Amino acid sequence: MNCEQVKREFPDYLVKSLSQEGSAAIQAHLAACVACREELATLESVWSRLGVLEDSQPSPQMRTRFYVMLEEHQLKLRSQPKGRVTLGDWVAGWWPARPLWQFALGVLLLSVGVGLGRLSVERPRENGEIVRLRDEVGGLRELLTLSLLQQQSASERLRGVSWSSQVQQPEEAILSALLQTLNSDPNVNVRLAALEALQKFSSVQEVRQGLLHALERQKSPLVQIMLIDWLVENKERQAINMLTRMSDEPKVQPKVRERARWGLQQLS
Amino acid sequence: MSSAADNELMLKVRDGDLGKLSFLFERYHRALFNFFLRSTGGRDLSEDLVQEVFLRILKYRHTFRPDSQFSAWMYHVARNAQIDHFRKHKHADEFSHDSEEDIFSEIASPGLTPEQAFAKRQETRLVRKALSELPAEKREVLILSRYQGLKYEEIATILGCEVGTVKGRVFRAIRELAEVLDGITGEKAS
Repeated sequence: MNCEQVKREFPDYLVKSLSQEGSAAIQAHLAACVACREELATLESVWSRLGVLEDSQPSPQMRTRFYVMLEEHQLKLRSQPKGRVTLGDWVAGWWPARPLWQFALGVLLLSVGVGLGRLSVERPRENGEIVRLRDEVGGLRELLTLSLLQQQSASERLRGVSWSSQVQQPEEAILSALLQTLNSDPNVNVRLAALEALQKFSSVQEVRQGLLHALERQKSPLVQIMLIDWLVENKERQAINMLTRMSDEPKVQPKVRERARWGLQQLS
Repeated sequence: MSSAADNELMLKVRDGDLGKLSFLFERYHRALFNFFLRSTGGRDLSEDLVQEVFLRILKYRHTFRPDSQFSAWMYHVARNAQIDHFRKHKHADEFSHDSEEDIFSEIASPGLTPEQAFAKRQETRLVRKALSELPAEKREVLILSRYQGLKYEEIATILGCEVGTVKGRVFRAIRELAEVLDGITGEKAS
């Protein structure tokens, strides 16, 4: 083997993918050739120095984002008809090939549209179709809210929280996602926004319980104070024990302790 | 899980059993994340790109052929996702760093003395900088072979070239990296 041939084998030598004979042939050459020995030593040193860059752990949100996306795709697939006919295909099937007929169909559709429009103006409450559409839009909003709440960036999650307020009667999934955000979002602004959104649903029993428990978990004085105010406003007497504990706890910030004492006076 | 098992899972995904993708995600997301992290430098961008890869796998699942090898196919998709990203964001720095503390604070150094931990941090910084100075095509083959543990044949499939080309590129990449490392160390010493 000459130097050129030996060097061609170096990449395999580094990853130890050479056969025994191949390896032996290289060793024999290296024993006699200083230049190749030095070159290989340099390559081996760099190869081993690269090992200093260890594997890093992605954030847990990455997994959540993946599963949200997967679920969306599964839902989409399930809602598709078996023959895989999309709405576009269906419309295209009806669309006539000749321009004259296209024009005629256009006029017909327009007049049907105008007629329907008039009907719906006259009897807006009786139109089941509109109610159904509204329900669908509501459902989409819920889905969007849930996926926004899982986003990486705090501004996207804030958007998620504000979307949630557009849902008239939120499902349990939204409420528990908001509670989860309130309890564990790393960004205090997002937690505050979630609290504000949740306060609108104070009448829901789960929300009341969730807010009550949230007080124990919160570390940010701002959120703690907002929660205490909400408890007082809603005359939540179940909070009395917790507020008593908080007002004596030295680890709690002085301002929050003061507010907890005030809250106790109001509730008892 | 063997690569044959991976292929079987992907074939099921292709045929509509999307849930099976979760097994492939669990097996590969960390490797993919580190692939992007080492080739782009940013954690947020790397996580976005991993999500993009799995989105594309779902979108283009019909193109997975029974004779394909899943990991090679996945890295092929990953590479395209990365290329498209930099094409769309032309002004973005191709090798952007997170703040240094972000990267280095996570290097766990259990059992090291403060001096050793410091030396390790220095070395990490040096190697990252040297890697970032390599041309993208050389950095890519090094990452795929050194860190992702792929065989040269697999890399050739991913890049769509001959095995000999991959080996030649690896050889030249390490040689160039040695020079860059020497250069950086020299700069610091002088």
